[in-house]
Amino acid sequence: MFFLGSSVYYFLSNYSYADFYKRLEARVSVAEKRHFESNQRYAQVLKTIREEHLELLSEEKEYILYCPNAAAIKQLAEANSLPINFLKLTYTQQSANFQKEDIFYYGKKRETTKGFYFVIVSAKNYYNTHHLILLRKVLLVGGLISILFIIYLTNLFSKRFFDPIDNIITKVNSISTDNIHLRLDDIKNTDEIKRLTTTFNNLLNRIEIAFETNKNFISNASHEFGTPLTAIIGEADVALLKDRTPVEYKEALQKILKQSERLNKISQSLLFLAQIGYKNNKFNNTILRTDELILQANEIMNQLIPKNNIKIDFELLPENPKKLKVMGNKDLLMLAITNIMTNACKYSSNKPVIVSLASTNNEIVLIIKDQGIGIPESELPFIFDPFFRASNTAAYDGYGIGLPLTKNIIKIHKGELIIKSVQHKGVTVQVKLPIAAF
Amino acid sequence: MDKKILIPIDFRIESLNTLKYALEERKQEKSTIILMYSEHISDSITELLFYDSAKKIKALASSEFNDAIAIILNTYESSLHAIKIELFNGMNKNAFLNFYTAQRIDLIYLPKDYRLKPHKNGFDPIPLIKKSKVEYKEVAWASDHAYASKDELNQLFK
Repeated sequence: MFFLGSSVYYFLSNYSYADFYKRLEARVSVAEKRHFESNQRYAQVLKTIREEHLELLSEEKEYILYCPNAAAIKQLAEANSLPINFLKLTYTQQSANFQKEDIFYYGKKRETTKGFYFVIVSAKNYYNTHHLILLRKVLLVGGLISILFIIYLTNLFSKRFFDPIDNIITKVNSISTDNIHLRLDDIKNTDEIKRLTTTFNNLLNRIEIAFETNKNFISNASHEFGTPLTAIIGEADVALLKDRTPVEYKEALQKILKQSERLNKISQSLLFLAQIGYKNNKFNNTILRTDELILQANEIMNQLIPKNNIKIDFELLPENPKKLKVMGNKDLLMLAITNIMTNACKYSSNKPVIVSLASTNNEIVLIIKDQGIGIPESELPFIFDPFFRASNTAAYDGYGIGLPLTKNIIKIHKGELIIKSVQHKGVTVQVKLPIAAF
Repeated sequence: MDKKILIPIDFRIESLNTLKYALEERKQEKSTIILMYSEHISDSITELLFYDSAKKIKALASSEFNDAIAIILNTYESSLHAIKIELFNGMNKNAFLNFYTAQRIDLIYLPKDYRLKPHKNGFDPIPLIKKSKVEYKEVAWASDHAYASKDELNQLFK
C-alpha cells in the first residue's frame, strides 16, 4: 500500500517537473523567435499564437536581456534579480533549467554579432505546488483509510473463521464419558466448519455406539452368567437347609448339573466367538458348492428341529454350477447357515421359512426369509452384539451368541451379512459370499 | 429364431418379477429381452444437447438392480440371448408403435397387479401399451406388501 502510494507520488512529481520545464522551453523559443524575427507580420502572428494558445503560467515572467560580455552577467543578474548561478549555467551550456525555491527558470543564450542575449522565462509551478500536495493528501488519507479497512476486514474474517473452531474445541473438550450424548451445534454459514462439525458428530455417534455396545455386552454377559449361577446357588442352599433323602439330593444335583452345563455351553461358545474373531486364525479352506451346503444344513435342521417348515427354493439357481462355488471352511459355513435357519424357525414358531439361492456375477446370494416376530427397528443396530437379545424375545430360549458368531464367520469368508426386518412380519437374512475364483 | 420380448420396468427390483415369470414361461425358446423404462424427455435445450441414454440408464440402475439382472441372466443362461435396457420417451400411441417396430418386438409381457412406480420424470407406459392394440400377455404375481416401500434384492425371491 505504502510502496504503491509513494511510487505513484514519486513518478508523478518527476514527470511534472520535466513537463513544466518543457512548457517553459516552448515559451522561451516562441519569445526568442518573436523577438528576433525580422518579418514584422510573422512576429505578429507568433504573438497572437502566444497569447491565444499558450496559457499564462502563474507569475510568469519573460526576460530578454542583452549582455555584451561574460563579465556583465553578475550585474545583469542583480539588476533583474535573477539567480546568478542560473545565468552562468545558461552562459556555459547555451540553455539551462533552474529552480529557486518555488520559481522555475528556463533560459537560452542567443549569440549575435554584437554580443549575446539571454531569453529567459520564469514561472511558478502551480501544478506542482497545488496538485501534488492534493495528491499527497489523497494518497495519505486513502492509504490510512484502506489500512483501517483491511484491519477491520481481517478481524471480521478471523472472527468468522476461528471463533467457530474455538467453539468446537471448547465443546469437544467438554465431552467426556459422562456426557457422551452431547453433540456439536449445527453451524449454517461456513461449509468447511459445517463439515468439520458433522465429522465430529459422526465420530461421536460411532464412539457412543461402541460405548453402548460395551455396556450392553457387560450387562448382558453378567446376566447370562448370573441366571444359571443364581439357580445353582439357590438349589444348593435349599438342599443344604436340612437333611434330605438321597432322592432329593439326587434331584438337586441334577438341577445343579443342568445349570452348570448351560453355563459351560455359554462360556464355550463365547470362547469360540473370540477365537473366530481373531483374523490371523488359519482355517483349512476348500471349494464348496453352496447348494449342497444348504441341502446338508436342511438335513441337520430336520434332526435338530423335526417340526421345522423350511422350504428350499432353487428357482433362481444359476445354470452354471461354477457360479455356486465358494472358497471356505465347511464346518464354519455350515454352522453359520444352521444358526440362521435355527433362528428363523425358532422366532417364527415353525412357520414356513423360505431359503433361496442365486448368484450374481461375482457373489452368491443366499436369502432366508421367515414370518416370525421380527426385530424392532430401534434394536437392529445392536443385533450383532454378543449377548444382546431383542426386547421381544423373552419367550424364546437363547443367549445372544449365535448371530455375532455367524457374522464373524461370514466376515472371515469376506462375505456380507445383511439383516432386514419388519416387526411382526418377519426377518430377511441376506448372505453374500464371493464366488471362488479358479 | 429368437424372439424379442418387451417388458416395462421402473428400475425397481420388484418389477423384474415380470421378467422372471416371462422367462419361466418361455424356457424352451431363446429370447432377447428389452427392458423398457419410460420417461418424459426434458424441455431444456442444453439438457437435450448433452442427452446420453446410456448415462441415464446407469444413473437409474442401482447396484442391487444390476445384481438382480445378473441373477436372472445366470439363472436363464441357456434360454436368454441378452437383456437390454432401453429408454422410451414417447408421449402417445404412435410413438410407442414406432418404438415397437424399431426394436422389432415380438411379444410384450405386462405385470397384472403390480403398478410401476417410476422415478422422477418417469411415467407408467402400461395404459399406452394396452391402447396400442399390440399383442401382450399379463402375468400375475403377488407384490410383497410388507416390503413394498423398499427396494431390496429379496423382492426377487419368493
